[in-house]
Parts: sequence; structure tokens; C-alpha cells
Amino acid sequence: MKKKIIITALSCAVLGALAYFAYVFPFYEFEQNDYDTSLDKILSLDYLKMLAPLFIIVGLSVVGIILIILLRKRMLKKDKTYSRFAGRARSGKTPKQKPIPYMIIRWIVMIGFGFMMIWGGLIFGLRMSSVSIPILSCPWNTEQMTESSCYYLSHLSELFDLPIKNILLFFGSTLLFIILLGRAICGFLCPMGLIQDIMDKLRRRTKTEGIPANEKLYSALTPIKWALLLIFIGLCFIGGNFCNFCPAVATSPILAGMSTSLYVSGFIMIFVLIGGFFKRRLFCNICPLGYFIGLFHKVSLFRIKKDCTACTECGACYEACPMGIKQIYTERGKANVTDANCIMCGECVKCCPEDNALSLTCAGLKLYTSSRKDIMSGYDPMKK
Amino acid sequence: MITTRETERKARQDRRFISKETQTSAKYLRRIEELSGAPEGMEPFLETLGRIYVDMKGVDTGRKTIGTYCVMAPQELIYAAGAVPVKLCSGNYTAFFVGDDIAPRDACPLVKAVAGFKQTGLMPVYEDCSLMIVPVTCDCKKKIAGMLSEQCNVMTMHIPTSKGDDEIDEFVSQLYDMAARLEDVTGTRITYDSLAEAFRITGRAQYELSEFIRLKKEKPYLIRGTHAMTIMNSAAYMPAEDWAAALHKVNASLKSRAKSGQLVTNKKLPRILLTGSPIVFPNMKIPLLIEEMGGIVAGDETCMGERGLYDPPVITDDSFDGMIMALANRSLRPCPCPTFADNTQRIYRLKQLIKDNQIQGVIYHVLRGCLVYDFEYKRIEEELGQLGIPVIRLESDYNEEDVEQLRIRIEAFIELIKLRQEPGKRSTARREI
Repeated sequence: MKKKIIITALSCAVLGALAYFAYVFPFYEFEQNDYDTSLDKILSLDYLKMLAPLFIIVGLSVVGIILIILLRKRMLKKDKTYSRFAGRARSGKTPKQKPIPYMIIRWIVMIGFGFMMIWGGLIFGLRMSSVSIPILSCPWNTEQMTESSCYYLSHLSELFDLPIKNILLFFGSTLLFIILLGRAICGFLCPMGLIQDIMDKLRRRTKTEGIPANEKLYSALTPIKWALLLIFIGLCFIGGNFCNFCPAVATSPILAGMSTSLYVSGFIMIFVLIGGFFKRRLFCNICPLGYFIGLFHKVSLFRIKKDCTACTECGACYEACPMGIKQIYTERGKANVTDANCIMCGECVKCCPEDNALSLTCAGLKLYTSSRKDIMSGYDPMKK
Repeated sequence: MITTRETERKARQDRRFISKETQTSAKYLRRIEELSGAPEGMEPFLETLGRIYVDMKGVDTGRKTIGTYCVMAPQELIYAAGAVPVKLCSGNYTAFFVGDDIAPRDACPLVKAVAGFKQTGLMPVYEDCSLMIVPVTCDCKKKIAGMLSEQCNVMTMHIPTSKGDDEIDEFVSQLYDMAARLEDVTGTRITYDSLAEAFRITGRAQYELSEFIRLKKEKPYLIRGTHAMTIMNSAAYMPAEDWAAALHKVNASLKSRAKSGQLVTNKKLPRILLTGSPIVFPNMKIPLLIEEMGGIVAGDETCMGERGLYDPPVITDDSFDGMIMALANRSLRPCPCPTFADNTQRIYRLKQLIKDNQIQGVIYHVLRGCLVYDFEYKRIEEELGQLGIPVIRLESDYNEEDVEQLRIRIEAFIELIKLRQEPGKRSTARREI
């Protein structure tokens, strides 16, 4: 614990300094920032020019991913047992279970909400812009359907200069969403989550090895998460701006047709993309906003429930969990296994082979329950 | 220098061994057949056991066979290498007597029987094996691996004592070693595609098994446990495709039975869970005795039984490494084997089985000398005692001398359960008799 606090303080200092001086390191600077948006602008050829920083980020990420794969191949060449199986044909497909309603709904909601958070205001007009949802979608983009709480949470000093009505509205809507949805916001609504899930899907399609669940990795990430939360909330009081540092800046404003200059955020976005490719939702593991929502997990309505007798401790949930929650399979007493890190993605329930062992509930209502039939559905001889 | 007299003596011994071995196996096979209430479609399983033990033939598939001594050696890798796995843990009385002279007195009978078979060199299932994989789950397995390696190609696998992340990683590298070793033996390359196909083959068998368990769970008297254990035992000597196809037919007949309400018996027979040391054909005396004495084996938690194929591998990462990880995870984490230092999960597993199958009593089977299972008896007796489930410990050996003693104890246990049944139920049961 002492070691963790020291690491937190250290990374706080390093990351804090980086965030504070972020504006000194431009990633991509437009001669003049143009925050105007319109549908015509998106449909014109100029839009491609606006997207330039995004192309650079994606290009660099692809280069990074390929470099890492090649590097790993070189490293594994020395290892006799592993290298023997590398580079063999892999055209076939692993057995898959049939699609599950919960997952389909999750993807639809994620993509739909992501779309609304980028172009929603442009197409349907701004109607809910006074509502704040705690997600990491950049509020520089004024065209998003709702306001994102991240701006005022990271600029608390500015918040109290607002009229009292706005302050109440901000806290009211943010707390309401936290209590109603909890970290299901991360799993369903956050556009950063969508980007990372797409990267993970890409990895699975290309059958590339990822980083397996590993306790050491997760415990190394916790101090960084703490440090980021401190910076996220505290940086505004010493005159810095978290936004120059935040990876979310590098997506939605650009896609909405704004020419925003990028500072360190562009570099961090590359890290998010590469990290998300090899380890599902790596950024979510250190996301300060997500951690902040997670602190309220005891009051929010979404829960993961477990029947501890039915569990065989097979650890499939742990392997599948993008957040590395281990107690979900080691827990043998409590029925409620919801953790501060849980993003309600439902992967654990999907992978659980025991009937009724895990279930995802909302206010006591079972939304999704594990069943062996689902797990074995890929092997059903009748459905071929 | 081998004299003619010695060869003659050896030939005479072999003849005696074969005749005794086939006789006992045939006797137990007959007893299983004679037990009432066998479902339709049981024949392929009985035929398989008959072919291996009575006709003394190999697993005739045209592919190489790989022997395994524990469910922790994943079958998927063996199928991926184009070979067929056979489980070689033995329950043979005749081989046990031969092995008794080779292995120390306190070694477990299962290992003695294996040593006996290898000593005589007469059993085709053992002799056909191109490679034997021995996961070291106890001291006896460790030493038998050494003894076997004098006569054939043996690979040992280290089984960790706990199930942390590091242990799983280490087991993954052992599975890579196993894959490499299998490739060397069979000459077939294990690729992404062949491994995925192997997952489908065993997955199909596990699908049928999960259907089978589901049917049994819904109606406890749908099938006798001895028949279920025979089906599970024959999985050791059948390619998974054939086994799945045969079990599919049994499932179909069980479904029609459930529909028409036709059960093994209409009486309220005491439902018993059998757990503990593995029960391998032809050492079926305990399940046979239970069912002949008027009980029903409604569940079993033994590694030659349903546990062996119960847990499916869950692929969470679609790469080759991901599949190997899934195998390592499946092999170690859900396994309630007493070789692990902390095996609390077995108690939960038993409790779940008791709930699922409405168990009234637990028979804890211990093979003489099987220390790891014997160690866990006390804890399980205490835990299940709190639930009000009676437990008895039955120690047995691979011979028929203890049958009478076992019969008395099983009979008393079944009577005890009948007495504990609610008075109303008891009177109806009596009237039916």
C-alpha cells in the first residue's frame, strides 16, 4: 500500500507536469481554430482537411500496432516452444456461441449514442444540451446531443462562477445518471468505450494474440488511475487545463467538422488505440471519470449478482473481463459481486457456463442470466 | 538366456491372465446389462467396453492413440494432432493382482492395475499407445510415470498445487510442450484450424453431455446412475465424435421417456450421490451394489464420470494462444481435484449437485491408499452434515473379497435414508413394495 501511494505521487507529479505543460507540445496545430460546424461543411471536401489529425493518429496507431506485432515475433523467435506454432495457417474460425440479445442491444446503443454525441446536434438540433452525462466525450464539440460532465468536473473552479440554476442542473443530471446507470454509462454510452471495443473486435478478427488477464498489469495500473483522478479534478485549481491532455479531444470535435489543434491528447489517443487493440478497454482501466463514477457503485441500480454455490470457479469470467475483476469468480459468500471497476459490459455473464451462476440485474430485475445452453449453442448439431 | 521352460511358464501365465481378465469384465458387463431400466441406445457403449476388455482389442480407428491418465491433459490438443485420446486409468482386478507384486503395498489399486497391465503387455489399448501423458496429480502417478517410461514413450505434466495467475501461465507453457511432443509423435502439425476443429469435436460431445445432465436433473429417476457411469466410462475408449453420436441417441430416447412419463421406477428410491476416488470399469461394484440394494445413483462426482467432460473451455481470445489459454484455464481452475492444496470449491460443487439432483445421501468412495481423497472426507462430512445430508465413507480395493462387507454397509445406509424420509412418503413406499 505504501509503495502504491509513492507510485501514485510520482506518476501524479510526472503526468501532472505533462498535463500542465501539455500546450507546449503540439501534436497538430491548425493555423486558426475554427469551431463552426454545419452540415455543409461535413459534406464538402474541406471536411477531409479537418480530419487530417485523425488520419495521422490512426496511421500512427496502425504503424505502432504492426511494429509491436513484428517486435513480439522477433522476441518469440528465441523461444523454442512458442515459435514452433507461430506463422501457421489460421484461416478457420473458433467455435462461437450464437449472438445474445444483451450484446446486440449494447452494440446498437453504443453506436447510436456515439453517433448522436458527434453529429446529433447538427442533424436533430440541440434539445437536451442542458443535461450533463458523465462520459468522456469532448464538450468542445458543441453539436453533441447532451452536455458531457467531464468539462465542469475538470474545471471545478469555473463551475462556481455559473448561475445557480446551471450548477444545480449540472449536479442534478450528473448524479441522476450516476445513480440510475452507474458504470453502465461506460459500457453502453461512452464513445471512448466504443472506439476501444472496435479496436478489440479488430484484434479478434485478425486473430492476433492479446495481453491475457494478469493481476500484475492491473495492480500496476491502479496508481496511474488514482493519479489521473487527482489531476482530473485538481489541475484546474493550479491553472492547468486537463483538456489539452485528454484523448477524447482527438475524436468527436474533429469528426464533427471542427479544426481543433491537438496537444498531448493526440499522443495519448495513439496510446489508447494501440493499448485498446492489445488489451480490451485498457484506457477504461485508468479513466479518471470512470473511476469517479465507480466510487458510487454501491448506490447505482445496475448490479452483477452471483449464485456462489453454482459457481465452479472456472475463471472464464475473469479471463473475459476487460476490467480484470478477479473477485467475481473467487467470491464465495456475497450475492452481490458488483465492483467499482465493473462497466456492465456483460462479458462475464456471456462466458459463464453454469446455469444462473451470474446475472446482470437492474433494480432487482434480471436483465441477463448465464446459461450453459448459451455457451454450448455453438456446438449444437441441429443448428448447422 | 530364456529357456523354453520359462517361455512356457510365461505363456501359461498369460493365458491364465487373459481368461481371468475377460471373465471378470464379462461378468460386470452382464450385471450392467441385467440391471433394469437401461435406456435405448446403450448398446454402442456396452459394445465398446466389451471390445476393449472382453475381446481384448484396441481402439480401432486407423489413427494413432495417445494415452492419458487424467482429465487435466486436454483432449483437444490430441484431436488437433490427428490422434485419438484414450484414458488409461484402470479398474481391472486381474491386472491389479499382477501389479500388486510390482508396486508397493500402500500404492493405490488404480496405479497397481496400470502397472499390472504394462507388466503383462497383453492389453492392446495400452500397447497401441504412441505416447502416454501422465499429469502428476499424486505420488503414485509420479512413480507410475517413471515405471511406464521404461517401456514406452511417456510425458509427465506438472500439476501446480494452487490456481493463481502464475500457475496458469506455467501450465500454458506446459500445454505448448505437450503440443510439440504430440506433433513429434504423430507427425501432424497442430494449426489454428485443426485446434479449432478439435474444439468442435469435443464441444459436440460436451454439448450432448450437458443435454444428458439437464435431462437427468429435471427427472431424477430417468436413468440409473450405473448406466450413466457406464456411458461416461466408455467415453475413455471411444473417439469423441462416435461417443457424441451415440449419446445423442440416448438423449433422444430419454426425451421420449420423459414425455411419456416412463421412469426407471415408480418407487421413491433413495437418491444417492457417489463421490470420491475414480470408479473405472470393470470396478463397478459400488454403483452396482447401490442400485441392486434398492438405491439409485442420482449423481456422480468422480473423474471417470461426469466431471471428466463437464467443464467446457471458454474461448475469450480468438488467437491460437487464446485457445491454449482457454484449455489451461478449463483444465485447472474448475477442477475440484484434491491434488490442489485448497479445494473448497469441491464442497460447493457437491452442494450444487445435491440441490440439482435432490440427493438424500452421499457415498464417499475411497480407494485403499488414495490419500488425497481420504484427506477431504472429514471436511466434507462436516459440511454436508450441516445440510442434514448423511455421508458414509466406503473404502474398497480392486478385488471381490470386500463385496459382502460393502453390501452390508450400503444396505444399512439405504435403510437409514428410507427411515429419514418423511413419514407420509415412507408409508407410500412401503405399500408399493
